[in-house]
Amino acid sequence: MIPMRKIYIAVVALALVAIVGNHLTSPSSGRAVSPEDFAGACAPCGAPCPSKK
Amino acid sequence: MFTVAMAVPGSGAAVGIDRLFLGLALAATAILIALVLLDGQPLSAALILGGFGLGIAFLKAEFSYTASWRRFLTRGEAGGLLGGLIVIAVAAAVIVPTAALKQNFGGTIAPLGPSLLIGAFVFGIGMQLANGCGSGTLYTVGGGSGRMLIALLFFIIGSVLGSLSLPSALALGGVDPVLASDYLGPWGGLAVTLASLALAAGLIVAVAKRRGANFMPSRNYVIGGIAIGLLSIAVFAAGGHPWSVTFGFTLWGAKIASALGFDFLQAAFWQWPGPKHALSESILSDTSSLTDFGMLFGAMAAAAASKPFAATAWPPLKSLLAAGIGGLLMGWGARLGFGCNIGAFVGGVASGSLHGWVWFAAALPGCLIGIRLRPLFGLSRE
Repeated sequence: MIPMRKIYIAVVALALVAIVGNHLTSPSSGRAVSPEDFAGACAPCGAPCPSKK
Repeated sequence: MFTVAMAVPGSGAAVGIDRLFLGLALAATAILIALVLLDGQPLSAALILGGFGLGIAFLKAEFSYTASWRRFLTRGEAGGLLGGLIVIAVAAAVIVPTAALKQNFGGTIAPLGPSLLIGAFVFGIGMQLANGCGSGTLYTVGGGSGRMLIALLFFIIGSVLGSLSLPSALALGGVDPVLASDYLGPWGGLAVTLASLALAAGLIVAVAKRRGANFMPSRNYVIGGIAIGLLSIAVFAAGGHPWSVTFGFTLWGAKIASALGFDFLQAAFWQWPGPKHALSESILSDTSSLTDFGMLFGAMAAAAASKPFAATAWPPLKSLLAAGIGGLLMGWGARLGFGCNIGAFVGGVASGSLHGWVWFAAALPGCLIGIRLRPLFGLSRE
């Protein structure tokens, strides 16, 4: 089996490339937000309230 | 292996510093902080640093919700559970009144219904099989556990599947969130929240005494609980809402799936304003991703500063299978249950939201099932 350290090095390098790539190719329109910051959100993931259906 | 041995003054013991992984963790954190600062977002940098501190605190205190809950259920030991309640009490003292009184701040809320109950129950099973919850998965992955790397991969897959299931689960019905401060004001809401924590602590201690088990939290859990509670407040101050973990996993999975050609346009979850915005924006515009990245690299730095990183052998295949199944169940359960121990239980109760306690009550029996399943994968019930 491939040693755990080598897997870690590959995963961290791949993750960093993906994060930086995504950041540089996607818009970032202001301060960081969570889905719950949007109007009508009723949960951390942004789900609507049962009463709003 | 790029490690150096340093003598600890007065002890005669040698401490191994893994320079490669320590450098990797610090460099990765510095790169992420530089990226958000270049965008003029100091609060995003604060979230990364808050997560970094949480990673160190969890790793150094060996703070484990999963093991604490298991020790309570199997042996009646209450110290770990009480340590978890210390985190909530410290955080609630600031979150409940601030969320009610200050603009741009809000507590963690969620609807009450079948989705919450099913999700929390399934999450409970998963956390015992994986041997780590949301925060536990993050800090153990950061700490060098290859087994938990498998759990995280399947956590991410499970949470994307959960995002596709959540709208149907919500259609089963439910009622709007119940927030103590909405009924009793900021200070009455805080009083009720602290009283509910005291009542829960009393019940937990009573169970421990009845079973003749220890109920005193260890020094690590007291200090760790206070430190994690204070860092939760710092994350709340920077992000405007309580610390959460699992939406980041869902977002990472959806972004990877999108890159592979999966179309989320037809998925109801990804048409809600928050998730839709997160999917289209930079991953560094999502608060939970920022603290998650910080936590991973904080734990990695702390682990690499004290011993050779990820130097252990891979565990048996059955154990890896349990990690994968547990991760999948946690991911799916976290989406239906509106979060994990942190986002739903800690964040919910520390906000004075009833769903936090409902999540706890539903996840605990799930843990019992998970504990019974552990021997099938060669894992101890203890």
